[in-house]
Amino acid sequence: MKQHDRGSKQLAYRCGSAIAVALICLGSLLGQLSAQSGELRFCLRAEPKTFNPLKVEEDSSGAIRYLTGGVLVRVNRQTQELEPGLAQSWKVSKDGRQISFRLRSGISFSDGTPFTAEDVAFTVQQLMDPALHSPTGDAFRSGTGNVETKVISPTQISIRFPSQVAGLDRLFDQVAILSQHSPKKEMAVLGPFMVADYKPGSEVLLKRNPNYWKIDEQGRKLPYLDSIRLDIQPNRDVEMLRFKRGELDLINSLDSEYFDKLAATSPQLAHDAGASLDSEQLWFNEVAKSPIPGYKKNWFRSANFRRAISEAINREDLSRVVFRGHAQPAMGPFSPANKFWFNPNLKPQTYSPDAAMKSLQSEGFRLENGTLKDKDGNTVVFSIITNAGNKSRERMAVLIQDDLQKIGIHVNVVTLDFPSLIERMTQSFDYEAIILGLTNVDLDPNGEMNVWLSSSDSHQWNPQQKTPETPWEAEIDRLMRAQASTSDLKKRKEAFDRVQEIVVEQQPFIFLVNKNALSAVSANVHGAAPVILSPQTFWNAERLSVPAK
Amino acid sequence: MRSLRKTIAGGALTLLATVLLGGLLSATLVRMAPGFSADERELDPHLNAQSVQALREAKQRDHNIVRFYFSYMNRALHGDLGTSLALGQPVRTLLRDRAPLTLRLLSTGLALAWILSLTLALTSAWLRLSIFDALTTIVSGTFLCIPAAVLALLSVLWNVPGSLAIALIVFPRSYRYASNLLMKAYSRPHIVAARSRGLGEARILFWHVVPVVAPQLLAVAGVSVSVAVGAAIPVEALCGLPGIGQLAWQAALARDLPLLVNITILVTLVTLLANSGADAMGQVVRGEEA
Repeated sequence: MKQHDRGSKQLAYRCGSAIAVALICLGSLLGQLSAQSGELRFCLRAEPKTFNPLKVEEDSSGAIRYLTGGVLVRVNRQTQELEPGLAQSWKVSKDGRQISFRLRSGISFSDGTPFTAEDVAFTVQQLMDPALHSPTGDAFRSGTGNVETKVISPTQISIRFPSQVAGLDRLFDQVAILSQHSPKKEMAVLGPFMVADYKPGSEVLLKRNPNYWKIDEQGRKLPYLDSIRLDIQPNRDVEMLRFKRGELDLINSLDSEYFDKLAATSPQLAHDAGASLDSEQLWFNEVAKSPIPGYKKNWFRSANFRRAISEAINREDLSRVVFRGHAQPAMGPFSPANKFWFNPNLKPQTYSPDAAMKSLQSEGFRLENGTLKDKDGNTVVFSIITNAGNKSRERMAVLIQDDLQKIGIHVNVVTLDFPSLIERMTQSFDYEAIILGLTNVDLDPNGEMNVWLSSSDSHQWNPQQKTPETPWEAEIDRLMRAQASTSDLKKRKEAFDRVQEIVVEQQPFIFLVNKNALSAVSANVHGAAPVILSPQTFWNAERLSVPAK
Repeated sequence: MRSLRKTIAGGALTLLATVLLGGLLSATLVRMAPGFSADERELDPHLNAQSVQALREAKQRDHNIVRFYFSYMNRALHGDLGTSLALGQPVRTLLRDRAPLTLRLLSTGLALAWILSLTLALTSAWLRLSIFDALTTIVSGTFLCIPAAVLALLSVLWNVPGSLAIALIVFPRSYRYASNLLMKAYSRPHIVAARSRGLGEARILFWHVVPVVAPQLLAVAGVSVSVAVGAAIPVEALCGLPGIGQLAWQAALARDLPLLVNITILVTLVTLLANSGADAMGQVVRGEEA
């Protein structure tokens, strides 16, 4: 009987174990099925201008390129480190002019066309066509001459540039490889998704690329999602409303006001990833030929005046009041979020109206009945322009107006629509001061080369200088060129650290705040880990999943 | 017959001249607008000097407005409406893709507006109750005071179709006219006499009232098309509806000259056709009445 009992127990144990194993397997299978299905939905804030990844010049096309394009190397948006993509390994030559890639084999484009080194050569030649005028291609242009591509084997290629390109390997993060032979041209892709449908003005539907090469740690094919539906929705109020209704799964670059409203009701959906790379800054017009009075030009071209203005601005207040605490007072050109390139020796800019007043007095300014006058008796008054509709900039301008009033400076705040503002800033130079932002996509300072070189069009406070008009601008030019002409990372860092110090000393840009990277992620989305780098919420789109409806 | 042909030819010529003039005026205004020669892409720090120069030269091509307009007309005659500067797509494709939504929005909105207006106006005329009249006046007055953008935002908030917003924008205008016309018609001595003799309301309406008010109502209907087209811009832009109204909004913000000129011509054409159609129908009704 006992024997029988023991046998029954064993049988029951075995049956139980078998059922448990079967349930686990079934659960895992169901989990896998649910992970590999579903449609993610979020908004593009403008119509994508192109599906050609080489011509991308705005955020919407950039998002599609990120989701559909296969790249040789990828900057991991979380670690900020470079990782292998279509290239298994790569090597940059000592002179920084040549890069050699060893490619993965057995990979096909979404339409089945095989991927080889010839496709890389074709893409690079297309990208470097001078007539293309694409920001991606221009980032590689450091000197005149042709780019040479040498296909060594179907999985090996070397690319030689006419002169050194600093941070060369990282630039390939933006280069989605095109197929040379596919009849579908740029619609044949190597990324996790492919464009399946496009309804102009309405939506772009991306479907899973069946030939995508990546697998996860468990050997499952990526991406998990079936599709991504990108609704074209310029209105951010509508975007937020639809997110709350459950019609959208993600929102990138959330406004701090919306963020707080969402956090108040559903804190688990609101994500603050900390200070982003983006900065907001104020600068004065230092253009010699600008149509503003000469005495004002003298103020704006005085480093003491700019430093005084900087000291008189309460950045903590800007962060607290305008961004509701979701921004950090800026210390310099690069945000501390840029782990490698930020100069840690920079100190937070101090708020001190008294120190500001002293600096101004040393330049001959004086207070008369609460109004600041320069040494010639001119009342210190100027206008700050910013783009209409940008609530945070409008509010910052008003707070700065209050701050400067405390040292007797009267500021007029003027909002203009963006095209008018750009025209004044880049062509007529008919402005006194501007508040705008700088969106940093690159971690490498070379991405901002045109901002700092005095001869450049993007050297906003005084562009297109034939020769540097000040010794410190000449020094910045020298340092920026020096860091771009060496592949020694330590030397590059030293040079750019000094550039950051000069900018803080001279204040051509008065950096105000670094906004936090705010986003919203629906509870339906699994695997989301919003980061500060673009694209904040869907940087790991291939590993995101949502339950199938 | 000859005079009819003459009238039609004269009307067509006037229409063509007005449309062309509207296009030219639009092109001139866009060209003179601040920010026309600027391009947002210039701010991209990755672009080198040559690329920035190329962007500026592309903008300079449309600098001479007369040359632009004549070259546009020349291309338009061959079916090429140009390429949108902001969206980089052929204008013809953009208009073709987005027209159906706007047409649906406008037709539904106008139909709703007129059903509501005529129902209330007729009820008011039949009942002749001062309370009812006051109530409808307050309701229509309230909608008249609310800006189109607010109605569009409310439709987004309450998740109701954009066509309802269009209807509520058009309704107060059409209702006031319709109500006044019907009131006047029903005050005519022969209609008062007919009603006092117990003639059926339907017979009075279709035999005695409609022929009197139809020409004016048709004229108001023509005008309401212009009102609806104007309302479609904020409604589509705020509700995120990808129609021609949204396109017009984007084009204006981006100073997109080719797109704006084409949309102006299209809107002028629609407005003129609606008004001419209403006038022609009014004349037909008047002719039958005579």
